[in-house]
Amino acid sequence: MEILGVFADVESAGRAVDGLLGEGFTEAQVTSLSSVPYPDGVLAKTGRHNTWFHWLALLGGIGGACAGFLLAAGTAWVYPVQTGDKPIIALYPTAIVTYEFTMLFAMIGAIVGMLLEMKLPSLKKRLYDPAIAEGCIGISLSIHPGGEAVICEAGVRPEECIGPVSSLSAAEQKERAEEVMRAAGVLRIIGEVQP
Amino acid sequence: MSDKRIPVSKSDTLMNDEMLSSLRPPGLAWYALIAFLGAVVAWGLFAFGYQITRGMYVTGLDRPVMWGLYIVNFVFWVGLSHSGTMVSAILRLSQANWRRPILRAAEAMTVFSISVAGLFPLIHLGRNWVFFYLIPYPNQRGLWPNFRSPLLWDAMAITTYIIGSVLFLYLGMLPDLAVVRDRSSGWRHALFRLLALGWRGTAHEWTVYHKASTLMAALIIPVAVSVHSIVAWDFAVTVVPGWHSTIFPPYFVIGAILSGVAAVITLMIIIRRAFHLEEYLTPLHFDNMGKLLLVISLLWSYAYFVEVQTTWYAHEPIEWEVFSFMSGRYTVPLLVMLLGNSLLPITALCFKRVRRSIGAMLVITLLVNVGMLIERFLIIVPSLSHKNMPFVWGSYRPSWVELSITAAAFAGFALLYAFFVKLFPMVALSDVRELEARSVSVPLGRAELPSIAGKE
Amino acid sequence: MEKLTSPYKWGMVIDLDRCTGCGACVVACQAENNVAICDKKEIAEGRNMHWLRIERFWVGEYPDVRVRFLPVMCQHCHDAPCEPVCPVYASYHNPDGLNGQVYNRCVGTRYCGNNCPYAVRVFNFYQHEWPKPLENQLSPDITVRPRGVMEKCSFCIQRIRRVKETAKGEGRLIRDGEVQPACAQTCPAEALTFGNMADPESRAARLARSPRGFQLLEQLGTHPSVIYLKGGGREHVG
Repeated sequence: MEILGVFADVESAGRAVDGLLGEGFTEAQVTSLSSVPYPDGVLAKTGRHNTWFHWLALLGGIGGACAGFLLAAGTAWVYPVQTGDKPIIALYPTAIVTYEFTMLFAMIGAIVGMLLEMKLPSLKKRLYDPAIAEGCIGISLSIHPGGEAVICEAGVRPEECIGPVSSLSAAEQKERAEEVMRAAGVLRIIGEVQP
Repeated sequence: MSDKRIPVSKSDTLMNDEMLSSLRPPGLAWYALIAFLGAVVAWGLFAFGYQITRGMYVTGLDRPVMWGLYIVNFVFWVGLSHSGTMVSAILRLSQANWRRPILRAAEAMTVFSISVAGLFPLIHLGRNWVFFYLIPYPNQRGLWPNFRSPLLWDAMAITTYIIGSVLFLYLGMLPDLAVVRDRSSGWRHALFRLLALGWRGTAHEWTVYHKASTLMAALIIPVAVSVHSIVAWDFAVTVVPGWHSTIFPPYFVIGAILSGVAAVITLMIIIRRAFHLEEYLTPLHFDNMGKLLLVISLLWSYAYFVEVQTTWYAHEPIEWEVFSFMSGRYTVPLLVMLLGNSLLPITALCFKRVRRSIGAMLVITLLVNVGMLIERFLIIVPSLSHKNMPFVWGSYRPSWVELSITAAAFAGFALLYAFFVKLFPMVALSDVRELEARSVSVPLGRAELPSIAGKE
Repeated sequence: MEKLTSPYKWGMVIDLDRCTGCGACVVACQAENNVAICDKKEIAEGRNMHWLRIERFWVGEYPDVRVRFLPVMCQHCHDAPCEPVCPVYASYHNPDGLNGQVYNRCVGTRYCGNNCPYAVRVFNFYQHEWPKPLENQLSPDITVRPRGVMEKCSFCIQRIRRVKETAKGEGRLIRDGEVQPACAQTCPAEALTFGNMADPESRAARLARSPRGFQLLEQLGTHPSVIYLKGGGREHVG
């Protein structure tokens, strides 16, 4: 279950995050939605500076290098046509084609990896408010009711995922969170449609 | 830096409005422009159809000048496509903040000019209708392309660059697409919802996004360098006097960046005027771009000097023949080229007043690209005209078909750009607003944040 | 990948002392190889289709003016610059040392034409027609090239093929002089000698060893198969 509070400015959103943490929610439950990037910690803390998508770029590069080499050298080898006393598997042309393919697949790998790591494109409808595009800040809180198994994201210690408030029922947690947000000066709070 | 780029007090909505002003319903002028450009493109298509149905004799090509204006165009447009990489990627990596309002224009220009460039080798083929012989795919004809040919390297490099620059453009646009999605309705909303992929701007998304932008910028620069090096190798690996020169790849890359940067400035001036972005594209931007242009013009002059002076000193008969033929037959274009690429930018851009004058910059940057177009011509045509066998020396004059297709290429590029401007955010608004949000050192949210505005 | 070897290395020796510049070779070549008939306009544009041209140079000052002729056809280079630049293998090297051209593969990039230092490659700018009744003399052994395709001298490869098959049927190698391209066959002054350079006893190979021998644009390192024998006119004697 997720609720989203929309705030007019960074200051009130920051107050809300502080309030939520004070209430016992954890950093992992809170995230900020903004149309402008703010450094980590100004609003929510992702706490994760290690990304893994660039390994996919590397993988793409290695795969591309193999593909390029096989395309230039491999196909020339199985289809040998003599031209101008150049060797069938010629060093420089093979290197050039290999290089281009390496870069192509590395770039595709980087973008695909980035989208995978962002979990985009998202097929399910998620909480959002168009006002965020106009400079409003969204503070999203995922609520884990008591006893519910909490899915921890990679790199987060299990005790960080479950705040002390998680022993309360979902409705109660939601009420507390809404109270905090209102105190911080929220414009409106959007709740999830389905439970 | 003394002058303020953007008034600090502007609300985000107002900035969105201003920077997305190009997306407003087009006026009569836009339709008139589209109609005009469309007509030129249609004329070019007719000329191309005429060439396909009649034969290559409708061009000015003959023996020995087998490559002419089409290849000149190819090299020129590939050169223009180096704008996006230079302005966007390099300035992104060096964290130059003034790049922010310019990047979208530059990146879009890269995509469109490399697309236009990619058409020319196909237009140029004697049998365009069998262009698929060049594509490596298993077939029953027993055909396979020859990867030892520089033309195949070209094909690979251009494919890589088109895909890479489209990805780079899209990546840079992703948060802006989400903003447009939130502000639009109807079919636009549906389109941008699809394109924005459900971007919400969570802290996690932004973290990954920034790293991905840096990585992509780092990846696309070596691709751009390789693309124009390979284009240069089309000439440098041959035994044609005047082409066979080891300095060609770096010289071409420098030339490409020179024409690319000049074209970005020209476009900035046009966009600034057309969409009233005076507050975002300020004389400061032109000042900085002018400095960049000055440095690259100096580099180009150096490379050109090196090329000519070694030939002059060695005085190898056939190479010298090519040079003297070029300077004798094409004296006026040669002088225009030297003026536009070297003398004028180097002298004028030393002055801050010139760099900050929009009118002067327009003249200079247009002349740079006229010079670059001439430069490509003077590299390609005179060498072929006076090759090794004096008995088959010849000359070349482009025909109306070639000129029409060249005009259509310019119009087509402008057409693509005009559509792009009306459909997509023209200014990298997230980037600009990020700078705006952080232009003062304030306790921001939960942390004290130093200003980044001073870092120019 | 099999090693491409052959007992033949076809080559030609052109004795410039014997060449009279009569142009019979040009006509013979045109008749043999379905070379297109070009009109005045085409030739004026520099788009003539001759696979073999006779270059004519004036030497000396009036009144002591002499004319020198230089027949130039494809030099069938061993390190041919035209071959590796072709993106579709239309230009390739055959095991006999010939510089092959596959017309049906050619897409018309004209890169080979640029990179040929001898400028002997001709491009079909026009779609050529053979006026009646000349179409009756078209050789069935060779493709009629459509427009947009590059073509050039093949050393009359169709003749070589035919003799090769005869020789193979009889279980022997081709004898010296058994095959000649149309130009060599026609030359009334016997300036052109064709033969197997791999056979040191062939007439062409023996002539090629002459001290008068030279190759066109030797300095480019293309290693042509055509050897010229220097014309020794008075102007050289001094």
